[in-house]
Amino acid sequence: MNDDDLWLDALLDDELDAAASVALQRRLAAEPALQRRFEERRALREAVRAQATRHAAPAALRAHLESMLAPAPARAEAAARGTRERTSWRLRGLPWATGLGGALVAGLCTLAVVDPAALGWHRGGALSAQQTAEASEAVSAHTRALLVDHPIEVASSDQHTVRPWLSARLNFVPPVVDLVAQGYPLIGARRDVLAGQTAAALVYRHGAHVISVFVRPAESTAPADAEATRVVRGFNVIERTRGGLAFCFVSDVNPHDLQTLADLVTPLAGTAHQ
Amino acid sequence: MQADGHARFAASVLPHLDAAYNLARWLVRDGHDAQDVVQDALVRALRHFDGFRGGDPRPWLLAIVRNAAFAWLGARRPNEVEVPDDELDAALAVGAPPADPESLAIRHAQRREIDEAIAALPIAFREALVLRELEELSYREIARITDVPIGTVMSRLSRARHLLAVALRPEASRSLA
Repeated sequence: MNDDDLWLDALLDDELDAAASVALQRRLAAEPALQRRFEERRALREAVRAQATRHAAPAALRAHLESMLAPAPARAEAAARGTRERTSWRLRGLPWATGLGGALVAGLCTLAVVDPAALGWHRGGALSAQQTAEASEAVSAHTRALLVDHPIEVASSDQHTVRPWLSARLNFVPPVVDLVAQGYPLIGARRDVLAGQTAAALVYRHGAHVISVFVRPAESTAPADAEATRVVRGFNVIERTRGGLAFCFVSDVNPHDLQTLADLVTPLAGTAHQ
Repeated sequence: MQADGHARFAASVLPHLDAAYNLARWLVRDGHDAQDVVQDALVRALRHFDGFRGGDPRPWLLAIVRNAAFAWLGARRPNEVEVPDDELDAALAVGAPPADPESLAIRHAQRREIDEAIAALPIAFREALVLRELEELSYREIARITDVPIGTVMSRLSRARHLLAVALRPEASRSLA
């Protein structure tokens, strides 16, 4: 290995500034050997990214942590899900009770009296319990789509392709906009069913993360501009009502980046062209 | 800690549990041990969450997981974390760099071979590679997490890729067999 490799790697990793990048590109064009080396590096990187195992947290670990940290109402649900795996934890004799368990249990008594405001409720007052169920449904729809590795029916980053496709199949018009410039390329859309209603599911990508945006007509009884953010089974969920549409954003991307997308998309509600 | 602190902690940290476990799993190279490490890390994270001042929680959490993994290894398998520099250099002496176009055949390497090649990397190279290729963190974030200068991140990453290229080279399996 030599110093050239450092630069080739930095170029691959998009870590060079514009000037250094241009200079290296120029060298690559002039030096076939260097170009070949670059292609080898790229092939290696693609192989690693495509094939190296990404170890997912075991369900038992996740269920345990969720039940420990969840606010009171969700805790019962998480605990119920964790029951199956509970035995294996005992068998392993993990020091839950003295380690994390002890530390977290100490905090649980305070969780029982937690102010709803602390759980991510914002303006617009509390959404109904029904909508909590919908958040859970949305997360299921999101993960289902990821599991079958086919999250989209119409694959296109072109909003002028996606919007007519959806309009032809739905009785409402969701806002469809490609946000590649803002770091959220649109990768397509599909129809999904949420709370017994057909919803548009727009699929965006942000870095390595897939974001599902479910849109459907808001219930007439829903408070205007209602909003809730929550964590459901490890996914961040933002629900928002704007312009007569109910939005639900679901992803494992961090809450801040999900919020950014929500702030870009929801102001467009009601402005979509027929 | 206050209740809203716990809710904030759960909302910040749980979405990154897979990333935390993945890093721990690659560092300690065992599923059960990785669960112990993630557990340790979350205890530490919860304790220090007051010191977390917003921003992206993922690098923050991964730094804690990384330190927990090194502490765990240091107590149980110290030889894995105390790798002297000259040994790292020796690891680089294996084989000449792949120079011919046929080495593009690494594209067809199997998942198992790639996993094994990564697992065989010295830990300093392995953590840089996992953070870059699997967690897609920037050099700056990796530098902060592993507590080394960016230049060191660059050279470790480059060395990690070099070692992988050598291990996955088509003729490598034959000559080692």
